This record gives sequence, C-alpha cells and structure tokens, in this order.
Amino acid sequence: MNGSPTIGWRGKLLHIDLARGTARTEDIPRDLLLGYLGGRGLGVRLLRETYHLDPFHPGMPLVFAVGPLCGTAAPTSARLAAVSRSPLTGTVYDCSAGGRFAYRLKASGYDAVRIVGKSPVPAILSITPAGAELSAAGALWGKPIGETVRALEGGGSVAAIGPAGENRVLFACIMMGEGNAIGRGGLGAVMGGKNLKAVVVDGDLPVAVADKTRFGRARQDVMRLFRASPVIFGELGIAEFGTPALVDLMRQRRMAPTENFRRTVFEGSGNYSGPAIRKAYRPKKDGCFGCPIQCKKSTQEGMHLPEYETVSHFGALNGIDDLHAIVRSNALCNELGMDTISAAATLAAWGEGRGRFPAAEEVEGLLADMGYRRGEGDLLAQASRRVAEAMGHPELSMSVKSLELPAYDPRGAYGMALAYCTSNRGGCHLRAYPISHEILRKPVATDRFSFSGKARIIKIAEDTNAAVDSLVACKFSFFGATLEEYAELLSAVTGEEYGPQMLKEIGERIYMTERFYNCANGFDARDDRLPARFFREPGSGGEGIEIPPIDEKRFEEELLKYYRIRGLTPEGAFSDPDFLGKLP
Amino acid sequence: MRDQIEKYEARLLADRSAFPGKIAFAAQDDTLLADGNPELARLCGDVLSSLSCLGIVAARPSLPFADFLVRRAPRTESRIVPRDTETRTFLHDIPFLRREELGDAAAEKIALLLGNRKGVIVEGIGIVANGTVTVEHAYINYSSVFHAVFVKYLLDALAEGFLLPGERDAFRAFREEWLQPISAEGIPFRSGPLADTGEILEEIAAVGRHTVERGLVDSFFGNISYRSGNIVYISQTAASLDELPGRIDPVPMDNSSTTGITASSELLAHRRIYEASGASAILHGHPKFTVAMSMLCEEKDCPIKDCWKECDRVRSLAGAPVVAGEIGAGGLAKRVPPVISSPRKAVVYGHGVFTVGETGFAEPFRDMVALEGLCREEYFRRLDEKLSG
Repeated sequence: MNGSPTIGWRGKLLHIDLARGTARTEDIPRDLLLGYLGGRGLGVRLLRETYHLDPFHPGMPLVFAVGPLCGTAAPTSARLAAVSRSPLTGTVYDCSAGGRFAYRLKASGYDAVRIVGKSPVPAILSITPAGAELSAAGALWGKPIGETVRALEGGGSVAAIGPAGENRVLFACIMMGEGNAIGRGGLGAVMGGKNLKAVVVDGDLPVAVADKTRFGRARQDVMRLFRASPVIFGELGIAEFGTPALVDLMRQRRMAPTENFRRTVFEGSGNYSGPAIRKAYRPKKDGCFGCPIQCKKSTQEGMHLPEYETVSHFGALNGIDDLHAIVRSNALCNELGMDTISAAATLAAWGEGRGRFPAAEEVEGLLADMGYRRGEGDLLAQASRRVAEAMGHPELSMSVKSLELPAYDPRGAYGMALAYCTSNRGGCHLRAYPISHEILRKPVATDRFSFSGKARIIKIAEDTNAAVDSLVACKFSFFGATLEEYAELLSAVTGEEYGPQMLKEIGERIYMTERFYNCANGFDARDDRLPARFFREPGSGGEGIEIPPIDEKRFEEELLKYYRIRGLTPEGAFSDPDFLGKLP
Repeated sequence: MRDQIEKYEARLLADRSAFPGKIAFAAQDDTLLADGNPELARLCGDVLSSLSCLGIVAARPSLPFADFLVRRAPRTESRIVPRDTETRTFLHDIPFLRREELGDAAAEKIALLLGNRKGVIVEGIGIVANGTVTVEHAYINYSSVFHAVFVKYLLDALAEGFLLPGERDAFRAFREEWLQPISAEGIPFRSGPLADTGEILEEIAAVGRHTVERGLVDSFFGNISYRSGNIVYISQTAASLDELPGRIDPVPMDNSSTTGITASSELLAHRRIYEASGASAILHGHPKFTVAMSMLCEEKDCPIKDCWKECDRVRSLAGAPVVAGEIGAGGLAKRVPPVISSPRKAVVYGHGVFTVGETGFAEPFRDMVALEGLCREEYFRRLDEKLSG
C-alpha cells in the first residue's frame, strides 16, 4: 500500500490497549484513507479483523474516527463517527456526533483512535499531540454526565458515559461534553464494558487545505444552497425551530407514531411542537462546533432541549402531552447517558404489554431505574425486543434488528418502510433518510404512498449517506447541498479529485462491507423485517388522507428488487465468500 | 417508470425546450429501461448503466444556443458560466464536451462528466441531465440547463453579436418562429377577495397552470401565494407550477405552526411583501427575457463585483424596480418588499419577477405578461441597435 503523505488527513491511528495500559501510533495506509475517507468508512474498515467478536469481548475495538474535512471551515463537518458492534442489535454499528471533540481529536494529530481491551479499573483516556495517557476514573465512576464533563473539561473536550453505560444498558450513549450524543445502538455500553469512563482530547495542530481558493468557492456554493433551502434556513426550518419543526408536519401527514404505533395522530402533539417549545422556553440557538445551521436549541440557562424524535416518542408514542415532563425526560436521559428513542420506545412497548402506558409523572422514575438497572428497570434496560419477548408478546416491539423505530410511521412513507429494513444498523431513519424526498421534498418530491423506484432510490441514498458519514458531514446539509458541492470541498482540502459518482461508489463499498460483516454474523433477509403491525393494522386516516396497512406482497417484491440491485442473493446474502478480499 | 418517461417527454414537447423526435430517457430500478429516439436512448442507457442515479434524459434542445455557446467558448474552456440565479445557486456552471472529444467512447466520456454534475452539454447531441431520485429530477435538471443556456446566449449575443456561421439565421428563426406572443387575454380569473379555502387553492393552481401554458415560465421556476386573513397559502418547494393541486401549504402569518416547512423557499419574501404592500396575491416567476434584461447594468466603473447580492441600488426595468438579493434567506426578502408597494411589481437581479394583486391574480398575471413583453421588445431593440451599429 502506498504510504505517501496526504493533505487533509493525518494518516495516523492511535491504538489504545486498555488491558495492557499501552498506546501506540500507527500509520494509516493512504489507500485506506482514499478509499474509505474517514469516520464511518474508516471505522468500519478498521473492524475487518474483529467484526465477528461479541460486542462486549475485550478484543472488540471501539473506534473514534474523524474525516478529512474535520478541522477545516467546511460546513457541518466538525463531526466524528464512533464505530463498533452494537450490543443492542448485534450488527456492526456506527454513529456520528458533533461537538468540539471531533476537531480537537484531529488537532491532536490523529484520524482515528482504536480502543481495545478492558481496563482493570475504571479509567480516563487523555489524548494530546504529545501522546495518550490513562488515569483512574476514581470517584467519577458512577457519576452522571454533567458532573463528569465538568470535572474533566479543563483537559479538553470530553466524551463520556454515564451510569447507563457503566451498567451496560443496551442503548447507552456516549455523550459529548457539549451535549451531543453517540446514540442508538449502545456504544456507551461497549465503552462501559471496557471500564472506560471518558476520553478527553485536546490539541492545536491545524489542518492544511490543498487549494484554498477552490475551497472558498465550494464553501460559498454550499452556503448559498443552505440559504435556498426552506428546511434549513427557512422561516419554519430547523435553524429556527430545531428538529421539532417536524412535529406539526408529521401530525398533518398523519404519520406520527402514537401509543406504540397503534395510531398515527396524537391530539396533544401541538403541546410539544416547535412553536410550543419556542413559546414555553424562549430557546437560544445551539449546535455543533462551527456549524452554520445551529439546529439544536437550549434554554437560556443552557439546558439542551429535545429533538423531534425525542419529543414525539416521549410524547405521542406514550400518549403524553406534557411538554415539561418530556423536556425533563430528555434531560435525564442525557445525564444518565441513555438513548431517548430506544428508552421511550421501550416504555411504549412495555406500556402496551401491561395495558397502560406510563403517565407523565412516572416516566422519570422509570428512566432512572433503567439507567441504574433497578427493579423493573433491569428488564427495561434490555430494550423493547427483549422486554416484549419476556412479556410473552414479541410482536409489541416496534423495532427492526432490535433497534427501536424512530418517529416516522412507515405506513405513511413506503420508502421509509423499506429503509428501516435494509439499514445495516437496524430500524434507523438516518441511513437512507427518505423523509428528505418523501416528506420534505428534497431534492425533489416522491410519492410517499408508492414503492415505485424506491428500491433503487434507497440503495443510492444508503451509499450516498455512507459517504456523508465518512466525510464526516451532517445529513441536514443535504436538505440543501448535494454530494457535488461536498466533493468539491473534499477535492479542495485533499488535493485529490473526488466527484459525486466516486463518493457514491465509496459509500457502496462501505455499505456492502457492513452488510458482509452482518451476514457473516448470521444476519439475512429474515432480519430485514418490519413488525407485523404495519402490514395488519391501518394508521389514523382522516382529513383526506388514508393510512392503510402496507401491502406486504408489494413490500416483499420491492425488498427482493433491492437485493437484486445490490447484487445480493434472494436471501439477502453474499454469493462471494471472498467479497472483502477484493476491497482495499 | 415508463409512465414517468412518457409524462416528461410530453413535458419537454409542451414547453418546447426539446426537439421533437430527438428526446430519450433512461431509468433504472432493478432493470434498465431506455425509451425515445433510438440513438439517444442507446446513449442514455449506456451512460446510466455506469452511474448511481435513477434517471437520465438526453435531448437536442429546440434552440441551437447550447451548441453556439460551446463553439463560441475559447478552446481552452470546458464549461460555460451563466450568471443567472438558478445556475449560480443550483448548477454553479455547466460543463461541456466538444464534438471532437467524444470519439468512439461517447457514453463513457459523458458518464465521466455527468457523474460529477447535474447536467452537461454535449456538442452535436444536446443537453444530458441526470436525476438521482426520479425521472422528474432529470427533467428538472434538463430544464435548468436549458433556462441557463437561453439566458446566457441572449446576453452573449447582445454583448458580442453573432460570431459563427449560421448563427444569424438561427437567431432569426428563434425570433420569428420559435417565440410566440405571450398574452393574458382570455383567462377567466376569479375576482377577489377570495375567502373560501377551496376557491383559493383552485385559483392558485389555475394561475400556476396558465403561467406555464402561456409560456411565461418553465414549470419549476417560480412560486405563487394568496393571503387570506392570518393564512398564507403558498406553493411548496420544488413544486411544478402547472401541477399545484395538493402542493399548496397553508402557513399562519404568526408562525404558530411549522407545517409549512415544505413551503417555497420564498415564503419569507412573500410574507414581507404582504406586510409591506397590503396585497392579497403574489405571483413569482422567472420569465427569461426579464431575467436576462435584469442583468444589464449601465453603471460604469462600479466597484461592486457580486452585483447579484451586493448591489444596493434600485435600478429600473420597463417601469419595474430591480434589486439584488439571493433567494431564500439570502437577502431578496429584505430588498423586494420596500420597492414593490407602489409599482406592484419588482424584478430581482438575474432571478425573476414578483407581481402582486390587491384581491386576485388577474392583475399580477397581467403585469408579469406585460413586463416580459416589454423586456422582450427592449431586448430586440438593443440587439437590432447593436447589429446595425
């Protein structure tokens, strides 16, 4: 492999062995940087030797990887991906997060950190350009996120776990110091399993840009598209209202998951809509470091306000219309280091199973029990699939590959239905993100009640977003910009020529690598399934919109079509056992 | 997908942007489908099979402007740079392939270029555009390139005259045969004020359809709204003006709901115009002659280079004020409202026209027709002067 210098990338991997207490720096072959970019792609590539290990096996790496745009002024690119295998789903797992941690990691001189082993005592890992150090977590073990971050932030940016991660709650997050979460699949539990309480990074090494004039032009092009996008900078867009701007829209489209997906309209959703939050909290703009959008919203005192999926799931999904209770639930999950979507969806499945959804005033106690694995919380900490199975009603878990579905009812958007199933990390809205065109009309609108063309669209979007997650850029950028502008940014930074088609091919390589890992670990078409409810029960039609059950036969046809387009067998598997051997 | 191909082939013929018989589409799901002119369909299929996108269109434009621009470009150039807002925002510039560059591997070379861009010009073949998401997406990209080429060629011809053999004759044919009179005559507008929601939605949809059918704008270039009380009914982002039923968002003026997050990117401009003018109806479109003429400025030695966003002067074009400003959240919403109240119309540099109506759409439609007509006349007057002088 060619090891010549690169621009934009560092070309360096920091390898940490917690069991031995060692750190060493490795060169990352240039071919891997060019072919996998960074973030999700690089992290997934770095799992090639270990993907078969159990998520809690000490040898299973937890990788933090930044991208070639990180540390530059490329919009929304001060992000990283954390990659490992999910204890919740068993799939390969990545999650992207913003905050200052990503650019400080890059400024420490690394593209990625790979952490293996289990520390004999709870530990803190500190990274600077001078190297890495491990120290004892001491009394910080057991502390919630806020206290942990405050204790450590003098040393740089912090990524930490809370009690949920320490207690291996299967949907525990890694929380970034600024409030961003590496959420969903339970990488906080992986970190907890390694006895690693926090990672602190600091550095000041600049990132070179190969062609500053070209970079400046490309950046202006992106910003112009942001300004032209109603979803981003529009008066009703996410820069103004945050992602809860979607509450009213999903209500109007009659696809807001309600009472564990039994219904799709919640009468009380206006209580936690974007305008309702604005009225109640007078929020200020907040967001990832250097991001021009600032989609996150905080109270004047700095408390982070919940995202769309969180308000909807602690709201409609559990039949709760008390905004302040929802905000408190979000804050508690953040303190415990626990994914809000899975926490709320687990409560909803459990609530339906016992015949009563939790009341607003019960939720905080239940969340605390989950985080500390107390009483009923010990079961709830295992998430909805295992909870529903334990209750004798596995059908009540609204999940795909054990990952709880977010707040977009698949009966209201058929591309979303397909995308939930084909997502390599389970029931996630962010892999193909068809809400973009099925609901938000970007880049153009598609018919949300049609499967026509969706298999191809989903495939292209999965590849595109795998590249986006490897750059690492925020998906919200693509409500305005396209791969065309981001390829320009990448070319300008690295001096290597990239175009949209090339990025999509890189994304395909990453996506297929993930799928191969999953298949090798026993996943196949039987895991690409939606809960039966969506094929049997209608949603809440009305106001001129019908929400019928999804036509299962048509769904199956489209799924088979998707496999054909991907070059997979009808069982969703690989016919070539040496598939990985042909990749860089 | 065949129905989609048929629909957008018909669109290309209806808006007269492509040459009949010289249109082809390809689309791929799990199989590749190519349809239309056999030679172009084969090309489309070959190009699409090496790209990660859903659809592609290749067509010879109904006007030879694209080829002229390629041939007029210096030999060292491989792209044209139209400065209208659509291009600046969404296409940036338009790359081209010269005839002699194609050789025996035309599809391969087009795919290589198109893999990086939304649309390209291929000399001797026409405009080739892709659609990542739908066949419609490919059509929109074709339409955007056609619009950009049209406007740029008008401006280049005015600045430099005719430079190539055949150009003068082709332009005469364009002027005398391709162009058709535009008129507001015979359209039965409802007289306002419109209070009934159903009536409002029907009227917006009808105005949109007329705007396209009368050749004022191509279907994706504009937006329309009507204010009734606290609600602004506005066409959705990326909605075709001649297909608006079901694509109009009701948006409260006080932002008490965010359902209108799917509304046109010009929502803010529409709101501010309503507040400033007291009007009830707004029609916004991108008529080509008006767009071209808005980019002509007589100012000498002006230090401003990014006129499209930086110019703070209010110029005049056929009785309408002309201001600068980017679309969406980019400044247009600040600069149009202060100048539109009295003339009831305003032009945005390189972008298009806003016209307003007191109670209905008859007045703004008539004003847009008149303005485009005057801009067309003025363009030809200046061109004739240039050519005769």
